Amino acid sequence: MAELTYREAVAAAIAQEMRRDENVVFLGEDVADAGGVFKTTVGLLDEFGPLRVRDTPISEQAIVGAAMGAAMTGLRPIAEIMFSDFFAVCWDIITNQIAKSRYMTNGQVALPLVIRTANGGGVRFGAQHSQSLENWAMMVPGLKVVAPSTPADIKGLLAAAIRDPDPVIFFEQKSLYGIKGEVPDGEHVDTLGTAKIVRGGDDVTILALAAMVSRALEAAEILAAEDGIGANVIDMRSLVPLDTKTILAEVSRTGRVVTVEENPRLCGWGAELSSIICEECFYDLDMPIVRITTPHVPLPAADDLEDHSIPSVGRIVETIRREVD
Amino acid sequence: MEIVMPQLGETVSEGTLTIWHKSVGDEVTANEVLFEIGTDKVEMEVPAPTSGVLKEIRVDAGETVGVGTILAVIDDGSAPVTAAPAETPTAKAAPAAQPLAEPTAAPGRDKSLKLSPVVRKLLAESNLQPSQITGTGRDSRIKRGDVLAFLNGAPAAPTPAHMPASSGDGRTVVPFNRRRQMTAEHMVRSKATSAHVLQAVEVDFSNVDAARRRAGSKWKAKEGFSLSYLPFIAKAVCDAIAEFPKINAHVEGDNLVTFDAVNLAIAVDLDFEGLVAPVVRDAGSMAVVDLARAINDIAARARRDALRPDDFQGATYTISNNGTFGTLITAPIINQPQVAILSTDAVIKKPVAVVVDGTDAVAVRPVGVLAQSFDHRAIDGAYSAAFLRRLKDIIETREWAAAVP
Repeated sequence: MAELTYREAVAAAIAQEMRRDENVVFLGEDVADAGGVFKTTVGLLDEFGPLRVRDTPISEQAIVGAAMGAAMTGLRPIAEIMFSDFFAVCWDIITNQIAKSRYMTNGQVALPLVIRTANGGGVRFGAQHSQSLENWAMMVPGLKVVAPSTPADIKGLLAAAIRDPDPVIFFEQKSLYGIKGEVPDGEHVDTLGTAKIVRGGDDVTILALAAMVSRALEAAEILAAEDGIGANVIDMRSLVPLDTKTILAEVSRTGRVVTVEENPRLCGWGAELSSIICEECFYDLDMPIVRITTPHVPLPAADDLEDHSIPSVGRIVETIRREVD
Repeated sequence: MEIVMPQLGETVSEGTLTIWHKSVGDEVTANEVLFEIGTDKVEMEVPAPTSGVLKEIRVDAGETVGVGTILAVIDDGSAPVTAAPAETPTAKAAPAAQPLAEPTAAPGRDKSLKLSPVVRKLLAESNLQPSQITGTGRDSRIKRGDVLAFLNGAPAAPTPAHMPASSGDGRTVVPFNRRRQMTAEHMVRSKATSAHVLQAVEVDFSNVDAARRRAGSKWKAKEGFSLSYLPFIAKAVCDAIAEFPKINAHVEGDNLVTFDAVNLAIAVDLDFEGLVAPVVRDAGSMAVVDLARAINDIAARARRDALRPDDFQGATYTISNNGTFGTLITAPIINQPQVAILSTDAVIKKPVAVVVDGTDAVAVRPVGVLAQSFDHRAIDGAYSAAFLRRLKDIIETREWAAAVP
């Protein structure tokens, strides 16, 4: 095991897969020479050269279009969209072309590509560079959606995404880039569509994703120490495929569910989870489902306002204290 | 105390009294439903804010009156009141709808009257009324754990009435505790529900004894408990059920519902202080040694009151082990809504007729009776008997010694 940062784990995963498969190529804005604006891809140009690691012009449409063409013709491209907010300008290619190609060609054209992106807020980038957009991608049939919370999961799930035969949208939470964690040495490949129970507890199940996982864990410790509430915390890790088996089993066991979501409230992923839970295990519920989310607002740039918008440890603790009885 | 038309929402100015649940002169208890009201937006039951006698009804059912109108008067023993309403919700100048903000708990919502889906399910399954359960949640809400505690016989709120009372005339009155009440209710209900038929087979446990001898003191030293007959019988039951799936079933209304997995309830006596039947889940997938450990685990936890709610859920067949006390045969009562239950009685050495080299002979063998009560609504005698024959056959002929270390 080596201790890596979340950002270093990105480069480690890409390097692992580029060494293994010469069809894996990587492109994006400032990803090669500069090593990525978030320094997530340092060293890749040196090791794999300019043919496989390419800087592109500032055109998100060109990036995802090129990735799509490359995937159609036999490569396994990884494209970087610097901020997930910029998906908005290339949505046609992603949702209307990439997501539908396998289906519309009856499987004749598969697109084994990954679009990596820095997602989410908490780093004072303002309304246009801070959105948590996992719910946008989740609602498009044909896209897989992954959002890891730890360096180890970055490496394992990014490797799995690159090897996956279909398009995967890979959300890296930019507020997490600096965190450190143990990452398995050597080849490390995880499984898409598996959630992880990261803390046991019998009183309430907290479903969290990406940057919200560590906040949920911290809140759970406070609730255990101060209120005697045993929270079990599930790191969703992947929204599509969704590990309903693990999630529903834990929800049924505790009878109480709280989601912690960085995406804005309206149509956030927790709304879909609530719907599934109500359909599948309504009669195991002992409390209304509670969602803790960023409100339905453009994210403010001001420190205090941004901190107030994104679910905090304090808000998670207070909400669970109020609602779990 | 005067009872007034409550404020039903910030924009509602009047409501229709739809039903009175009490008449003038009736005793009312605080929190008991007194009347129901409706508006174009909501229907709701309104509980009495105080206990007393309903002295006067001023607004009849069907009338629509404004918020704050006096509807009735309860004589609660207090001085004549020009009572303020129990709650005086001030119509807050709330900003127009904020549908996207996170909802906070509505103030004053009476959770004691709200039953969650899982609580409703558990109450329905166990034929219980909410009034039987002491709610320990906020505002006395009944939580899942409260129902399960009641079902497990844990005294949620110890009452002096449950203490033995000697009346001085040689009689001692021991009120049933909750577990006793539950057992009593369940047993009578089961007898009233199922058409019980008892069938029994006599089984030669020689092969099982060989396995137990093989495990011997090594097993006890390593595992901390003796290897009894029960896990072997449990294994044989699971294997026989695989061929007779209607034994592993529930009766639900006019349907027989069979299950792929055998969730085996094991009746555990709590040192004469009651009976519980925790479940070994998916027993059919377990080897004899694993069954031995699982049964020992739930029995040990039952005795130290450490069973979890899950340990009682989802049983599909039950074994009641009475053999410890040397009984010959026990006619068990079906654990509802299951279809059958097996009693294992004492295994003792007996002379039995055997055939040795084609000649009849008498041998001494460990023999015991397995007795099954089945629900004749669901299955018939031939099916149950065929199951018992298969069970006997498995216990007598399997090389059990190979199944133990």
